[in-house]
Amino acid sequence: MTLEHLPSAAPSLARLIQELNKLPGIGPKSAQRLAYFIIRLPEEEANDLANAITAVKQSIMFCGQCQNLTDSSPCSICASSQRNREQICVVEEPLDVLALERTHCYRGLYHVLHGVLSPLNGVGPDQIKLRELFARLSDGAVKEVVIATNPTLEGEATAMYISRHLAGSIVNVTHLARGLPVGGSLEYTDELTLSRAFQGRQAVE
Amino acid sequence: MPPLRTYRAEALVLKSVPLGEADLLVTMFGREAGKLRAVAKGARRSTAKLVGHLEPLTVTRLALSRGRSLDVINQAETLDNFTPLKTNLTAVTRGLQVAELVDGFGSEASPNEPLYQLSLSTLAAIGHAPEDELPLLYFQLHLLAASGLMPQLFNCVECRREIEPDRHRYSADGGGVFCPDCTPDRAGLRPLSLRALKVLRLLARSHAAELPSLRLDPTLTQELKAILTGTVQYWLDKEIRTNSFLNHLAREETRRQIPR
Repeated sequence: MTLEHLPSAAPSLARLIQELNKLPGIGPKSAQRLAYFIIRLPEEEANDLANAITAVKQSIMFCGQCQNLTDSSPCSICASSQRNREQICVVEEPLDVLALERTHCYRGLYHVLHGVLSPLNGVGPDQIKLRELFARLSDGAVKEVVIATNPTLEGEATAMYISRHLAGSIVNVTHLARGLPVGGSLEYTDELTLSRAFQGRQAVE
Repeated sequence: MPPLRTYRAEALVLKSVPLGEADLLVTMFGREAGKLRAVAKGARRSTAKLVGHLEPLTVTRLALSRGRSLDVINQAETLDNFTPLKTNLTAVTRGLQVAELVDGFGSEASPNEPLYQLSLSTLAAIGHAPEDELPLLYFQLHLLAASGLMPQLFNCVECRREIEPDRHRYSADGGGVFCPDCTPDRAGLRPLSLRALKVLRLLARSHAAELPSLRLDPTLTQELKAILTGTVQYWLDKEIRTNSFLNHLAREETRRQIPR
């Protein structure tokens, strides 16, 4: 959508709509609705929103160790003395760290790849944070790499690449179990997931 | 009579991209439908029933509803997910090249059963022999054939005389092999060894099931790869994206085999 398509809107409003329209999942209509919502906000709240956007762009950086997004490097997880430094869990995106932290069952460190290997989209090892991962492992302090990429074709390809790269090293490479989701249904589950669920079956406690 | 609102299809999933909050936009190549794109609503939720059946390189049986711009996938059932292929990184990447090329050469609402069968048999062959380069070379040549773009391998493109054993040249944009007497002033003409020409002719006449009996040395493999990739890329009119990762894996493999 361009400014020319909004002849009746004030230039500043048209600009706001145009900028909101650039956000993922926001179409022209949603952009207009959000813009009119922002106009109706009290000035203080609108300023808070604008300041939050400015502040996040100015202060957020990559953690020098785990590559997660942080406002100080090393990030709070990497700096914590409570974490197990012999374990690194490899995830695709920063939001995956939040999801795993919510489980409270992992106390090791993380490494965020910021993507997965995607040969179809021209994303190779140099386009994601793999080199940084292998550099972290070079001193031998880490004993286990837990691969927590998504169980998609590209996530699995990334897991295979990491595993292949670390073959022969002292690092133990594991990945999260594959199987049935809570609330799922056997009837509708694909064969690959079911066969992996069978392979990973456990004794009933 | 207006077309039915719902229909069924058997298709190979080529790729999928996230759409909106939890949907997937899936690109497929159907046995009877040709290339088709459809939405799988809510497929990215962890309890979604569809998503496991819509992973790339899966043959799936679908029930769809016609939509205003995109059709909607209502049901999906896996027919073949090529499990052996998906346990080897090089094989997965070769499989993704098959998907990339079918996506590039296939047309929407234009069925191409030979290309569909070729894709499935190639994926199966790659799964059975992950380290073998031949299935992908075979696929590239027969992809050109199934798209009506088969290069001339038996007669000179220029003078039409039957090709005899000699020093030939090959041109992707010229449409195939040129005899030594006909070497037009054309950029892109490259030498073609007699061995490579023989293998290309054999591949052109072969069925997928005959492939395992053929063993190629590295030099010949490289020549065939250069010729076929060049020709496919010429008709595709853009770079084959999966090639750079395949080359990266090959370089790593070579490094691994050289003793330190």
